[in-house]
Amino acid sequence: MRRSVLALVVSFTLVGLMFIGNVALAQPVVKIGAIFPLTGASAATGVKLKYAVEVAEEIINGLHPDIDVPLARTSGLPKLSGARVQFVFADHQGNPEIAKSEAERLIQNEKVVALIGCYQSSATKPASAVAERYGVPFIAGSSSSAALTERGLKWFMRIAPNDDMETKFFFDYLKFLNQNYNAGIKRVGVVFIDNEYGVHAAEMVDKWIETYKKDGFELAARIKYPTTVSNVDTEVQRVKAARLDAIFHASYIADITQFVKGYRAYDVTPKAVLNYCGGFQDPKFLENLGRDANYFSGSNAIASSLFAKMEVAKRINDLYKPKAGVDIDGPTIEDFSSALVMADAINEAGSTDPARVLEVLKTKTFYAPYFVSGKVKFDDKGQNEYSASVMVQVLNGVYEAVWPVEFKTAEPVPAFPPWRSR
Amino acid sequence: MNQRSRHEWRSLAIVIGLLAVLPLLTKNVNVHHVIVMFFIYASLGEAWNMITGLAGQTSFGHASFFGIGAYAAAVAFYRFGASPWIGMVIGALAAAAVGAIVSYPMFRLRGHYFAVATLAVSEIVFQLFVSWRWVEGATGISVPVAREGLWTLQFHSSKLPYCYLALAGFVAAAAAFHWLANSRIGFYLRAIKDSEEAAMAIGINPAKYKLLAMVSSASLTAIFGSIYTQYILYIDPFMVFSMHVSIKIVLLTVLGGLGSVWGPVFGAAVLIPLSEYTRVLFGGTGRGIDLILFGVLIVMVACFQPQGIVGILRSRGRSGKGGQTRDAKAAA
Repeated sequence: MRRSVLALVVSFTLVGLMFIGNVALAQPVVKIGAIFPLTGASAATGVKLKYAVEVAEEIINGLHPDIDVPLARTSGLPKLSGARVQFVFADHQGNPEIAKSEAERLIQNEKVVALIGCYQSSATKPASAVAERYGVPFIAGSSSSAALTERGLKWFMRIAPNDDMETKFFFDYLKFLNQNYNAGIKRVGVVFIDNEYGVHAAEMVDKWIETYKKDGFELAARIKYPTTVSNVDTEVQRVKAARLDAIFHASYIADITQFVKGYRAYDVTPKAVLNYCGGFQDPKFLENLGRDANYFSGSNAIASSLFAKMEVAKRINDLYKPKAGVDIDGPTIEDFSSALVMADAINEAGSTDPARVLEVLKTKTFYAPYFVSGKVKFDDKGQNEYSASVMVQVLNGVYEAVWPVEFKTAEPVPAFPPWRSR
Repeated sequence: MNQRSRHEWRSLAIVIGLLAVLPLLTKNVNVHHVIVMFFIYASLGEAWNMITGLAGQTSFGHASFFGIGAYAAAVAFYRFGASPWIGMVIGALAAAAVGAIVSYPMFRLRGHYFAVATLAVSEIVFQLFVSWRWVEGATGISVPVAREGLWTLQFHSSKLPYCYLALAGFVAAAAAFHWLANSRIGFYLRAIKDSEEAAMAIGINPAKYKLLAMVSSASLTAIFGSIYTQYILYIDPFMVFSMHVSIKIVLLTVLGGLGSVWGPVFGAAVLIPLSEYTRVLFGGTGRGIDLILFGVLIVMVACFQPQGIVGILRSRGRSGKGGQTRDAKAAA
């Protein structure tokens, strides 16, 4: 008798467990495609972006009441019966052809309802064109080429400030230095890598210099270098010959490292060096260059020094740093944002129907306290209206926020001290 | 037409018939993509085989012809609204001209020196396009989306038309190579490959026939550059002029078997799906496992079967027929 009762209990337990298991299996999953350069020249950055998206997935699917971002306090997407979000990663290897085919595969085979990526603007272009054709929402986190949001695409949006906005930001900062620190900056030059990112940045300098001529600025040099550069001595000598007060740099981590070493070797001491979103923002910049990294500046969506002021960013970094081994940086938090905003929009739509998700993306102002602007809102072209940037300057080996003044964590140093006196 | 040639034409026809059915077996867009890329790269292999497989001039610079064709179609449509067919013809002519101008003096070089020179030329063409503002330099060209159809060579609702466009191109490329290989010129080219001095001694003009092979190879390569552009609808110099393209063409042809019409077919049939599916399976991990697998395969082929897949099949055929190959029989 006892044996039969025991058998009955065991059987019921097993059936119960199977039922629970089935319920767990039956829980709906919302798939979002994430295309990044996970191998190739930009793999180091691509893998960090992947970690950031994994953190977003963890926040969305788990319970994180201590993090003040949308979907952290609930498990899954509450308006879709707690559906879990799964980011399906794909590697475009820095190749636009692969970015296109991976976008097609994710949409058609993996049945993703939305896409994020692709870091390199040249890869984002064809991938977002695929999303447009299939009518799938696409948010680029950190692709900065202004051209991306000038194509009249309906389904494409971008979180990062584009190089158009960044250039204006740079000139405004230089004006600020001249007015408040008597920096005397006049002669401006742009040093840029010869690809979509660099060429567009340089074109934006050509555009904005016309506006800022009245403030006493002149464009004194336009120095382009090849993507496969292995020695920048010639370019550094051209910079020196141009006697620039300020240099705008559109460079990746390997190139900017070479340039800084070159500036030191040839004793080039401009007053300010401002970097577009690229290599400067990578914490490797500090690692590679040590004290030589000091006084370089650039726009950034986040800086570790801001963690003291921005509790949410710190909490996100606490989840991110154990994976990546470094603090979260600007491009990385922008792609984290693209993941979270997309999930937030799907939840808000209460559906994965692309038209309803798009409607939310086009109309809602998203709460984003991990950015200094605190919010994300896409304009008619899909560009985030709120520039998620502060000017950071490396001071004593730390990225310090120096402008706008309300986010200041340190006083800016308005002019480079001579190399030999460092 | 001898018996061997007839046999090869028949085999080609059967394989092409089977390949024509392949896209209809699935609606999977990723499989269709693999099929399109297979046809394109197999065709590029056939084109490359003309100059390297037949004439023995190892070119590592075919990306420059591919890129010229790609840009010709893109620019024709983007700047002038002209049909990519027109761009394709211009591209083929331009690539032929570049091939002739550049390679004629380079034919004086032998072996590795010729290969290195082609690499250098390819780099020059790449740098030219990166700096050329009229073709949008480094930022590349997004081909304007147009109404789908044969005139625009754009198909948006399905990839099937691209599959058949690429297949048609492949048929033309394979037939062109097969015809060339079995023509009098083909035998001249093989003679030049074996020994230029001996070929000259029997009255063959090596410069003339190598030039002919290069011009045919370059223009054929450019045609597939144009098809590629209309398929991807975005090109930049890094995509179409990169050494990666040249290396891929070389790899798949060598893997399949140099100098044979089947070589690029086998090579592309292995390499293209392998690179696509290993990326699909392992690429998302970010650990480069797909590329490692790809590299291991190449190393294995290079170490154990330098004659490529065609070589493997031929040696099996030899052992299965008491040591007498079909080639030997045909020769007899």
